[in-house]
Amino acid sequence: MKQISRLVVATASLGFVTLTLSGLVQAQNDAEKIYKTNCVLCHAPDGSGNSSSGKALKAEDLRSGLVQKKSDAELAATITNGKGKMPAFGKKLKPEDITQLVAFIRALPKK
Amino acid sequence: MLLSRPICLILTGTAMLILISSRETRAVPSYSRQTGLPCATCHFAPPELTPFGRKFKLDGYVFTTKAEVTDDKKGHNAALAILEAFPLSVIFDASFTETKSPQPGTQNGNFLFPQAASLFLAGKWASHVGSFVQVTYDSQGDHFSWDNTDIRYANATSLFGKPLSYGVTFNNNPTVEDLWNSTPAWGFPFTGSNVAPGPTAGALINGGLAQDVAGVGAYGMWNEHIYLAGTIYRSEHIGAPQPNAGTGFPINIRGVAPYWRVAYQTVKDNNSLEVGMYGLHLKSTPNAVTGPEDSITDWAVDFQYDRTIPQFNNDVLSIRGSYIRENSSLAATFLDTGTGPGASFPRHHLNTVQGNIEYHFGTKLSGTAGLFSVNGTPDPVLFPQAAVSGSANGDPRSNGYILNLSWWPQQNIDLAVQYTGYKRFNGLQTNYDGAGRDASANNTVYLLARFVF
Repeated sequence: MKQISRLVVATASLGFVTLTLSGLVQAQNDAEKIYKTNCVLCHAPDGSGNSSSGKALKAEDLRSGLVQKKSDAELAATITNGKGKMPAFGKKLKPEDITQLVAFIRALPKK
Repeated sequence: MLLSRPICLILTGTAMLILISSRETRAVPSYSRQTGLPCATCHFAPPELTPFGRKFKLDGYVFTTKAEVTDDKKGHNAALAILEAFPLSVIFDASFTETKSPQPGTQNGNFLFPQAASLFLAGKWASHVGSFVQVTYDSQGDHFSWDNTDIRYANATSLFGKPLSYGVTFNNNPTVEDLWNSTPAWGFPFTGSNVAPGPTAGALINGGLAQDVAGVGAYGMWNEHIYLAGTIYRSEHIGAPQPNAGTGFPINIRGVAPYWRVAYQTVKDNNSLEVGMYGLHLKSTPNAVTGPEDSITDWAVDFQYDRTIPQFNNDVLSIRGSYIRENSSLAATFLDTGTGPGASFPRHHLNTVQGNIEYHFGTKLSGTAGLFSVNGTPDPVLFPQAAVSGSANGDPRSNGYILNLSWWPQQNIDLAVQYTGYKRFNGLQTNYDGAGRDASANNTVYLLARFVF
């Protein structure tokens, strides 16, 4: 009986971890997809802003302290409403997409 | 014999006429509506692309910040991503043209209202698929016709650890898919009169196939530096009965005509530089799809340099240049095919050099000065004598300059004045046509009012 209980607990734990991890990976994939579709054009795949168009428009380095020190709400507001030469994405992206995008920016390797 | 000469003139002359019409260049507001960005983000001045504009085109015209109707791909269900707003735009051109001397028997000072009006289907069609499609009403023809078209699929990946943008293009004009303004489809002059005479001789790739071919090609930009593109073309002859019999058309591509493009670009701080080469090879039978063939090969080199000057409120200086060498073996044109020979001998060549320098005062004003020169193999049969359009000595040499001043009171309204001066026209400075007309008689003042919305 004890062995069955352990087996059930282990299986449940494994299932929980798998589901949690797959959920996290899925969220990461979704965020990456959103980033690639909407942000890469200027901010480059690594967030550096080092693309030809990013350099021409002087796009912010998303890994920099200047960007990273902003709060999540500030980053979300910039994405939603635009700022300077950056267009507003509020009509295209859902709030949950923007939340994921902010998390993705936070996860970029720091400069 | 008499009939063959006009045919040969068509071979070269239509190149220049089409060149003029193909340079009725465009900036498209539906892209602005789609991206939420002003025209000036993609254009220094339309149609000149900024690095952002080039990337937008490279990526298939699909970048958007606006609302879409979407459905995520799940399992065996297909995805959907279409714009809520239909990507339609309009250009309306009115113009005035005056040459130094009137063409015999015609009035001088021609006001065209409109000169042309275009409709565009330009924007995102689906994920990774977008378009630049143009139909144009021409007041002289008094009808709409299919104009420049570039429909493309684009995607991105990485290769050797560096980003690779790649895609497939369906288009109807060699170089219309190109990203720079040093190649013919989007090169200077960006606009021009369709009333004033133009030099007879012109390289085929310099607009001679525009809207008369259909092609499919692939391209790739690696590491944002190396650009490779290739397209194969077939004659299309829109408006002619199909299947194509070739009758009445000076160019009927036999097999396929390959077009190639290689370029290197670098963008750093306030500088953008491109150097490249491109070319086209085709075999063609005039007025038929069987029989003897002409063989024409164009090789070209080009460069473009754009310098943003922060000390002058981010004004931009642009310098562009190109050289096109055309080698042709006009065996079919030379042979008597019932209408008499259209050339004195088969082998010809043509050199075309163009260069221009432009200063953009912000996004409101731009001034451009350009030089052009065409020379090649003299041939009195290929370039016969005719009033205004002909050559008294059969020499294709023409050269001169173009000055343009464009004022953009709004980013979508262009008021321009352009002056074209000829030092030599169809071979000579004076009496070039054998009918007493001098090269300078074709000097042209052209005024344009363009509204884009």
